[in-house]
Amino acid sequence: MKGLLRYAITRILMTIPMLFILLTIVFLVLRVMPGDPVSAMLGAHAPERVIEEKKEELGLNKPILVQYVNYLGQLARFDLGNSMVLKQRVSAPIKEKLPATIELTFWGMVFTLLIGVPLGAYAANKRRTGRDFGIRLYGNIAYCIPVYWMGLMLQLIFGVYLKWLPVAGRTSPRMLSSQFSKTGFYLFDTLLAGNMRAFNDVAIHLLLPSLTLGIVLSGIFVRLTRANMLDVLKSDYVLAARARGVSEKLVVYKHGLKNAFIPILTMLGLQFAILLAGAVLTETTFSWPGMGRLLMERIYLRDYPTVQGVIVVFALMVSVISLMVDLLYAAIDPRVKY
Amino acid sequence: MKRILILMLLVFISIAVLFTGCKKKAPEKVTLVYGTTEKVTDMDTASAYDFHTWEIFQNIYQGLLAYKPGTTELVPGLAESYTVNAAGDEYTFKLREGLKFTDGTPFNAKAVKWSIDRVMALEGDPSWLVTDFVKSVEVVDEYTVKFILPNAIAYFPALVATVPYFPLNPNVYPEDKIVRDPSEMTGGQLVGLGAFKVSSFKRDEEVVLDANPDYYGEKPKVDRIIIRYFADATTMRLALESGEIDLAYKTLNPSDIKDLSAKSTFTTNKLQGPYIRYICYETSESIFKDKLLREAMSALVDRQDFIDKVYLGQNAPLYSMVPMGMIYHTDDFKSVYGDANVAKAEELLTKAGYSASNPLTFTMWYTPSHYGDTEVHLAEVLKEQFEKTPMVKVDLKSAEWAAYKDKWKSKEMPMYLLGWYPDYIDPDNYTAAFAGTSGSKGMGINFSDPEWDALFTQEQTNPDPKVRQQVFEKLQKMWTVDVPTTPLYQGNLYVFTNKNVSGVKIGPTLIFNYNQLDITE
Repeated sequence: MKGLLRYAITRILMTIPMLFILLTIVFLVLRVMPGDPVSAMLGAHAPERVIEEKKEELGLNKPILVQYVNYLGQLARFDLGNSMVLKQRVSAPIKEKLPATIELTFWGMVFTLLIGVPLGAYAANKRRTGRDFGIRLYGNIAYCIPVYWMGLMLQLIFGVYLKWLPVAGRTSPRMLSSQFSKTGFYLFDTLLAGNMRAFNDVAIHLLLPSLTLGIVLSGIFVRLTRANMLDVLKSDYVLAARARGVSEKLVVYKHGLKNAFIPILTMLGLQFAILLAGAVLTETTFSWPGMGRLLMERIYLRDYPTVQGVIVVFALMVSVISLMVDLLYAAIDPRVKY
Repeated sequence: MKRILILMLLVFISIAVLFTGCKKKAPEKVTLVYGTTEKVTDMDTASAYDFHTWEIFQNIYQGLLAYKPGTTELVPGLAESYTVNAAGDEYTFKLREGLKFTDGTPFNAKAVKWSIDRVMALEGDPSWLVTDFVKSVEVVDEYTVKFILPNAIAYFPALVATVPYFPLNPNVYPEDKIVRDPSEMTGGQLVGLGAFKVSSFKRDEEVVLDANPDYYGEKPKVDRIIIRYFADATTMRLALESGEIDLAYKTLNPSDIKDLSAKSTFTTNKLQGPYIRYICYETSESIFKDKLLREAMSALVDRQDFIDKVYLGQNAPLYSMVPMGMIYHTDDFKSVYGDANVAKAEELLTKAGYSASNPLTFTMWYTPSHYGDTEVHLAEVLKEQFEKTPMVKVDLKSAEWAAYKDKWKSKEMPMYLLGWYPDYIDPDNYTAAFAGTSGSKGMGINFSDPEWDALFTQEQTNPDPKVRQQVFEKLQKMWTVDVPTTPLYQGNLYVFTNKNVSGVKIGPTLIFNYNQLDITE
């Protein structure tokens, strides 16, 4: 337990230099990019004096090094600063949009696992059959498909042709989210409010975007699970289990899959960053009001602090997930000790 | 772990599927859902300077004068009437009595003066529409207000109908700072005098407008309008087709417009808007300082070609900076240059010293997202048209909007593409803004000529329609000679609605009055 704690603390401390490097790059790239927030904000007719005053107010006329040191000082106080475009704290839109992205990526991950892992295990069990070939083909196609194209196809099929599912947003326009929104996690909020009609509305809105993410990312899990399962199914203990007359289902899906799960878990941690990148595109395709859209919009407006804030949060999320995955190893594999 | 995941998924799907078929409760209010890819900027008349935010303001606030829905006819708004002195530099407005803002604050002349003074003091982007034309505002009595102008301004009534002149509630807006979100106001609500009031505001997601029961004018036919914001045009089109929105307006892709127009399930409302596109030249330092080259480029443009290729025939060729349908419009570029006039262009280029072995080489700039996804195609087709003669070689470059604006200020772009929505409905707004010394500098064109400036002053100060007509006709002729810009096309606007929606009236002013909209369940 002591070792585990030491490991967790070391990992957390390691995120600090990672964040520092990432933020330095983002800070410099944003300021090197042509265009600045004052031009984006004030428009073409603003007098030069007003532009200069605004730059002074935002601290943009200071040397970049001074701006950078000031920003790091703010961060050290756990302060993401103020938006340069809207009169609000950077944390305000992040707090508002983050639950939407977490809800989307969580269910995207659930769909990824539910589609990718069983299909991969099944393909390994039916090695070199038509079904194996079909699943491998699916895995390759899903891996190659751009997420926005998949989203568009699902929107067309389920939204436009079948009219089963909505194509955009987190709720129907007539279902005003302000009536139930408390935490921003709408599934949870609607349950908390006991509003089943709203819960249903939120759930069906979540289905297509999370399924899109799930399908696209399931490809790599199909291939990974299949490859690992093939190794595991060749091992001695599987042979022994079969010799003892344990049913094939138990051998494959309990003993085999559990042992093949460690690399899958590793991949899960690594894929989370890709899942967040996918969420940015999915949010655009489905007009999902999350962090991805916030990031895109604020990049256009050159809202430096908000862009930096969103990236800090994304980086922290990836770090936390990687840490959780590492800690889960110990729970799954008794050989792993910290 | 697997069991938990399966259980979670089953709960999720079963609840979703079970309830999908359930009969929806009838909405309590007659609601119309309006989809758009536009964005709301600052919820402040002193700062917002974009088409969509102004559209919302026009429905939640009111001007002293207003446009009759769907027309360019100015009618009384919050003012019952106005008088103008003999010199044409003092306008006195008699306000309607007994009106109240939606929070109960009485509307009077003090509110008008306070609002105008605020716009002038805050110096936001649209403030020039007030500061350039108004010297001061005086409260004559409780319901009479006088605007004192620096000189006679022929189109002042049209200016008064623009958003920066809208009276605000002094109890709600802060006097000394620009408001971005309604949450920054006293009471956290937008409080106006218009047909609707804002009941919920979620930036980039939705804005909910409820009918204002105290509105003095024509009552809205629907109880509620929900404006839903889409991240891209394709999703908006799909949302219209799946029935999630009742109306889609600004901006669909040309291919979507073509498809939706062919469907009998939707009503297509096609409107000739006052929106224009044109080529700008940096005329003071760049290679296009030589007007022969600007003339040559105007001769090479083939308007119908790019309208067909890029916009699938959905816009109209434009041969003057003053758009079609507006007073004093003439088609001078058509008679002087025509389209794809390669022979004339080659003649002009030869005169300027260029040849096939010594071609004119320059960079044409465009901005990839500000004018929609079609912009890159427009730039490519124009490059193709310019290069129809071996005497021209074009390099294409793009920059995002924020960088684009910086570049035109720093004179980095010899040729670039821009578009224009009018601030006020008058030919002056389509001409002085580009070729008057001050306006031209702001647009990065940097054209300056005392003769032109004198003509602008004449049309701005002389209210006589005959004199103004002569001036504008002369200016449009001069435009073909000096070519500060080359007009390209005039945009048509498309509003698609479900069959049960009626009352879409958007006139040449681009004002979309929501109180005309109706929906049958």
